[in-house]
Amino acid sequence: MKQAVIDAHNLSKIYDEDSIPVVALDHAQLHLNRGEFTAIKGPSGSGKTTLLNMIGGLDHPSSGYVEINGTNITKLHGNALIDFRLNNIGFVFQSYNLIPVLTAKENIEFIMLLQKIPAKQREMRVLELLKQVGLENKGDKRPGELSGGQQQRIAVARALASKPQFILADEPTANLDSVSATNLLDMMLKLNEEENMTFVFSTHDQRVISRARRVITLEDGKIVEDTAPAKITNGINLLE
Amino acid sequence: MILKIARRNIWRSKKRSLTLLLAISLGLWSGMFLIAFYNGMIEQRVNAAIQDEISHIQIHHPNFLNDHESRFIVPDAEKTIKLIKENSSVKAVAGRLILFGMIASPSGSTGIKINGIQTEAENKLTQLSSKLIDGHYFTPSKRNEIIIGQKLANKLKLNINKKTILTFQDTAGNLASAAFRIAGIFKTQNTPFDETNVFVNIEELDSLAGLKGGIHEIAVLLYSNNSLDSCLQRFKSVLPELEVKSWIEISPEIGITVSAGTQMVYIYMGIILLALTFGIINTMMMSVLERTREIGMLLALGMNKFKIFTMILWETCFLILAGCPVGMILAFITIAITHHTGIHLNNYSEVYANFGYSPVVYPNLNMDQLIKIIFMVIITALVSAIFPAQRALKIKPASAIKN
Repeated sequence: MKQAVIDAHNLSKIYDEDSIPVVALDHAQLHLNRGEFTAIKGPSGSGKTTLLNMIGGLDHPSSGYVEINGTNITKLHGNALIDFRLNNIGFVFQSYNLIPVLTAKENIEFIMLLQKIPAKQREMRVLELLKQVGLENKGDKRPGELSGGQQQRIAVARALASKPQFILADEPTANLDSVSATNLLDMMLKLNEEENMTFVFSTHDQRVISRARRVITLEDGKIVEDTAPAKITNGINLLE
Repeated sequence: MILKIARRNIWRSKKRSLTLLLAISLGLWSGMFLIAFYNGMIEQRVNAAIQDEISHIQIHHPNFLNDHESRFIVPDAEKTIKLIKENSSVKAVAGRLILFGMIASPSGSTGIKINGIQTEAENKLTQLSSKLIDGHYFTPSKRNEIIIGQKLANKLKLNINKKTILTFQDTAGNLASAAFRIAGIFKTQNTPFDETNVFVNIEELDSLAGLKGGIHEIAVLLYSNNSLDSCLQRFKSVLPELEVKSWIEISPEIGITVSAGTQMVYIYMGIILLALTFGIINTMMMSVLERTREIGMLLALGMNKFKIFTMILWETCFLILAGCPVGMILAFITIAITHHTGIHLNNYSEVYANFGYSPVVYPNLNMDQLIKIIFMVIITALVSAIFPAQRALKIKPASAIKN
């Protein structure tokens, strides 16, 4: 039996409940296992980012709850929730969102500093991660000196730095050209295969969807489909 | 790392940071210089009052200052003066005979304070001879010489060698008059003092008033104001039958000037820093709002609220602490130069002199004030940091990243 990393129970999110309610997420039920490579797709406004925010503890649901490795994060607030995110969840954002005043190395190291990891260990891990994302020689560059693809790789390295339970990536390829997007996907798939790292994407990008091992489709805040694309996953349906 | 981020964040908007640094530097420079200027003015007023007019300590008969009657003389004055001279903190001491009367010339008359002085001792005490702008100091061989202030001389149209009549009450209560020849005309920084004080030889005044060697006032000049309290206590204990008063008690308006001036400069400094606070808050608020997405991302990644708060606090402190040394160095240089050359306010010399102030001001800043200024700047930094930091803490990571 596969180990559950994310369990979303009956998740709903209604914005502006007091005036004109907008249902962003409608009783979503989700169960993701360790090592999955999942894409959440759907048209704009379908609730992809909202679902990701709930799973990542960036927003609280109006009803329902999320369990990460058995911890109900919906009950966590303030610094407890921030600390939980720090130690359990890696984030990759559409606009890379690296800290512009820090070098690539420092951006990766930053998360480990927050975790109070000793200097020597940090240094080794930064080098290891830079190697993993193929940017060993770009460590001293600031984000402004890197291309979009390179910045997103550094963002992935930063997300991996804290050794999270899973990585949430919100439209990670949206701002990348096709070569950079393919390279990034290759790298993430490799990490998924070699290190059993769990990835969850929200995406419009067909390239990501076609390479995902599981695809969840959202429409009007509801999960309408949850399956593996026929042409991928080496014939294995991860839902089974 | 938080320090590193904070330090580097300052220079993300160079123009804005430099403008603010310039404002902080100029604000601090002007505040410090203003304090030094007022200090110099007040110090000169106090020094002039002590050196020229009051001295550090005055000793009287207990009733003299209330009634100013000539019969209230200091008993055994010479013995008291000798006793005071033995104190090592005492620089000079002199006895005075003080009568209130009228001075008359062909042009008019006016009320004055007649100071009968021990000419040599008084000169050591107030250096009266150095303040003469015309004529000479008392000549031992000549009788009935008088030294008057320039303002009074102008008022009564009196010149050197001209005669004037002094009228006063003797000990018997009769009016006594005597003619005096003007030997010298003095000028101090205090025009009202020059207008209302005349100096004559104590022995001549004594014989005219029939006091038979009486002294109304013993003025004591110390080497330093620091020994004032100890000397005051000592004299009070050895002269219990006399009234021993410090310059602040004798001339409370000068004490008020000092304390009011001190408070005023801190109020000015406070206003300058308050204005700077708003500038700093505005700049930091802009900086926080511009980085809403970045701060949201930091919160999402796991940087807790305390660390975010600390980061904004450090950024504000770095900005202020970078501007402070520049402002302070500018202020030190300006104060050092003007302390040496003096600031000549010649256009306003009449106005200043009417209030007893010198038209040449030597700015001066002491260590105590410097520490207080630094303390005020630190408080400003902390207060300025609170609002932007609080704003940063209100950022919701989900909506911040989305925007």
